[in-house]
Amino acid sequence: MSTDSTDGAAERPTEEITVIVNGEPVTAEVEPRLKLSDFLRYECDLHGVRVGCEHGVCGACTVQQDGRSTKSCLSYAVQADGAEIETVEGLAEEETDSLHPIQEAFHETHALQCGFCTSGFVMATKELLEENPDPTREEIEEGLADNICRCTGYQNIYEAVERAADAMED
Amino acid sequence: MSTSHPAETDADAESDSSRESFTGQGLPRVEDHRILTGEAEYIHDITPENCLHMALVRSMHAHADIVSIDTEEAEAHPDCELVLTAEDIKSEYNPMPTGVGRIATGEDGEPAALPEWALADEKVRFVGEPVVAVVASDRYAAEDIADLVDVEYEAMDAVADGMAAREDEVVLHESVGSNVVDNERLEFGDPDAAFEDADHVVEGEYTWGRISGVPLETAGAVATYDEESDSFDIDCNIQLHTLVDNMIYETLGYEADDVRVNVPADVGGSYGTKIGIHRYCCLTSMASQQLERPVKFEEDRLENLQGGDMHSSDREYQMRMAVDDDGTMRGLDVWFVDDFGAYPRYPINQVLKPLSVLTNSYEIDDVTYEYDLVLTNKTSQTAYRGFGVDPHIYALEMIVDEAARTLDMDPTEFRRRNLIRPEQMPYTLPSKNLYDSGDYPATLDRIEEIIADERDGGLLDPDVVAAKREEGKYRGVQPSVIIEPGASGSDWTDRQRTDKEDLADRSRDEVEELPEHLRAEIREDGSIHAFLATDSSGQGHQTLVSQLLADELEVLPSDIEVGYLDSVDAPTEYGSAASRMAVMLSGATVGVAERLLANVEELAADHWDVSTDDVTYHDGTVDRLGGDGSLSLAEIAELDAETNAAGERRTRVSYNYDHPATDLEEFDEALTQKFPVYPTAAFGANAPIVEVDVNTGSVEILTFHTVRDCGTMLNPMIVEGQAHGGIAQGIGAALLEEFGYEEDGQPQAITLFDYLLPSIENVPEIEMEHTETPSPFTETGAKGVGEGGMIDAPASIATSINAALDPLSVEEPASQIPVAPDHLRKKLRESEQ
Ligand code: FES
Ligand code: FES
Repeated sequence: MSTDSTDGAAERPTEEITVIVNGEPVTAEVEPRLKLSDFLRYECDLHGVRVGCEHGVCGACTVQQDGRSTKSCLSYAVQADGAEIETVEGLAEEETDSLHPIQEAFHETHALQCGFCTSGFVMATKELLEENPDPTREEIEEGLADNICRCTGYQNIYEAVERAADAMED
Repeated sequence: MSTSHPAETDADAESDSSRESFTGQGLPRVEDHRILTGEAEYIHDITPENCLHMALVRSMHAHADIVSIDTEEAEAHPDCELVLTAEDIKSEYNPMPTGVGRIATGEDGEPAALPEWALADEKVRFVGEPVVAVVASDRYAAEDIADLVDVEYEAMDAVADGMAAREDEVVLHESVGSNVVDNERLEFGDPDAAFEDADHVVEGEYTWGRISGVPLETAGAVATYDEESDSFDIDCNIQLHTLVDNMIYETLGYEADDVRVNVPADVGGSYGTKIGIHRYCCLTSMASQQLERPVKFEEDRLENLQGGDMHSSDREYQMRMAVDDDGTMRGLDVWFVDDFGAYPRYPINQVLKPLSVLTNSYEIDDVTYEYDLVLTNKTSQTAYRGFGVDPHIYALEMIVDEAARTLDMDPTEFRRRNLIRPEQMPYTLPSKNLYDSGDYPATLDRIEEIIADERDGGLLDPDVVAAKREEGKYRGVQPSVIIEPGASGSDWTDRQRTDKEDLADRSRDEVEELPEHLRAEIREDGSIHAFLATDSSGQGHQTLVSQLLADELEVLPSDIEVGYLDSVDAPTEYGSAASRMAVMLSGATVGVAERLLANVEELAADHWDVSTDDVTYHDGTVDRLGGDGSLSLAEIAELDAETNAAGERRTRVSYNYDHPATDLEEFDEALTQKFPVYPTAAFGANAPIVEVDVNTGSVEILTFHTVRDCGTMLNPMIVEGQAHGGIAQGIGAALLEEFGYEEDGQPQAITLFDYLLPSIENVPEIEMEHTETPSPFTETGAKGVGEGGMIDAPASIATSINAALDPLSVEEPASQIPVAPDHLRKKLRESEQ
């Protein structure tokens, strides 16, 4: 389940949390059961965080928490209190409107079709390349095995990762 | 032939090719930027102000009478805004239209009532069927409230097997009296004689498990009722919104114009499956009307997998083939049962579409085709990429393998002998559809060359194969040539609702094939805007239209913006289905551009007061011949605005591209009889190299070779992307995916831990080559590509598994899709005994 608001009449317990989201601190009163994915989507208005399964299989909701890829549907917002979260919205250069090399590479190699999985793949790729700037195909496979894309058949995703790796090396 | 596509940046691609054609280039997509930056707006992102949220109480029984529904506690919850049951909706609205009426007839010969209400009425017929809808301020609260609804059931015996359901021991719909709601037997040529005369008759039974598209984005709908105009505005990620919108407005009891269905520009995958999600539009609309506030429903994954109206074909085949000693295929006899689940919907046509590729790439004149369409206590079927062709091609390729074994003939040689030859094109199938163009034997030759390379030091090198066998790993490959029927019209889809006698007397003039609609206009800033009447879900329609229109108008794709029309503004057209859009949209783009250019020249000629012969258009400008004066598109749009009222602007045009079969005599017979007509036949040969571990029964695809031809490639990057995606889904279907059910109708796959989607680890490198044989029937020579891969990969993987296990003489190892490890292990064990 996911939600857009919590403005009902019933008394529901809340806690105050502060999360650094794409570099900006966000303080909010949230229900302890609010999923991190819903917090990001609705409290922070970051729709690039996609929810495909809410049980940790598809990877569409992947964001970086304190520099590590995490599936945001598998934790609660209260657990992220004090953490730094980065979502796909944090990647593109805002002033120049230029895409991050990973985003650019996905575009150039047609590594997205419907795009619903794409933010998750981009964020997973970011972690992969930060740890291993020049991955082999096997390493890419391992790095992205937690994300599912139903449209592209993955071939172009391999190419995107390799292209991004090249671009980021330069 | 090429295996790569150009992938320059947009700017490079544009400037590189200045005044060369953009069509045929792998132009990166205009859709991507918003998606990559998180700005895309999918249905889950649409929440109007003041919006409420719906949750559904769903049946946990496969078959049960509803004894009582107690909503008191739910209604007492402080956040509860509304509770709806069947009783509430029956008093104000209609049942949702169903899909059959020919066999399911009552005593008076009239179609029997088989009402499907948006909420279960009196009894439930599948696990996950919505029984009660509740509305609250947010989804968390709505689910709390849903938990407070108390439904009392009296469980009944269920039937969850298509073959068993034919016995009618448990009947789902008492008003019909039988679970078999349609049956048809068609004969082409003289199959009796063929089977009598042939040297051999080969038989086989094949199972195609229940699979589906499972898009990563679940279904969602947001409805807003406006009291003043007494009309509805619905946002929904439904597919074919101009065709299936009747499922919504008829259910609500309104006219089409009062129910505006709008599909977001970004839809997170559909693959056909989302044509069946009208229930959510109906329920949110009803709730919105009751509450006079917007109401949103967002399906979660568990709901989607068990009761989301999104499963697809589920078939048992009995195939027979008549063959002669010399390897001639003489006759084919196809019989199958398709398990449609609890209600028959629009996708009943899936049992007919295989007629368009009845004999695949083979020449067989004498054929029987018969099916039973059966209801069971499972979720209802919807469409899925391939629309029922995929199981047919699979079952056919299986019986071909079996026949080759019977004849003791090399299966490739057997296939080659029976291939339709290029000089027979256009080729008329026994079922009267036509294959437009192609050289099938050459395609088989090419894939054989590729395999020959693999046999010589590659994955199939005899030494490697022998060494692998020592480890219990059996490698093999068996290529075949497979057809993808493209660009459906729609008339044939009424066949199952048409009386058989009426069909016999039908004339060609009664046939109506659906065109595709496109609008374009020039704005006063010189930009060009086009509007699609169809929805899309990742196929790149916006890019395709901007690329083609740029060529036609001699401008840059970046000068063109492409938007969408909702169900009221768009004419009722067929839209995005059946590998149709490349063909139909490219035809419509050419037409719209011609109209626009003619008007632009006229406007300029009028302005200069000369004849249109004295003006000429090029590169976004009209010049007056003789040199004095030229007008840009922006100036012309301004002129138009000055001289013409908004309704009569000549810089705004629309065009309907007729379905290619409309005026072709060749299709007359099929059209008149309402047989499926698909004027394009993309084709290709696959050779997936598989490795079967005989100890575990697991199958790995080492590499997937494929040679494909879809006529003119409008955007090779998109063409390849479609093929990659289709093949990946085909791999999932062949090896992993299945909506299994217990005998009592309990679904076994309700999470993505049980319904296994292929990950990057399951999909191998795809080695793809292309040939281009333009279609003689379409404006641009393009053929459809949207369903390829899913149509052909399962059959090719299954034949390759047969080939890999050939030395072990396992009886029909791939007789069941998916070829799951447990199934294959059982077969292997049986063969050892
Ligand atoms: S939505 Fe989090 S893994 Fe699927
Ligand atoms: S692009 Fe559609 S799921 Fe990946």
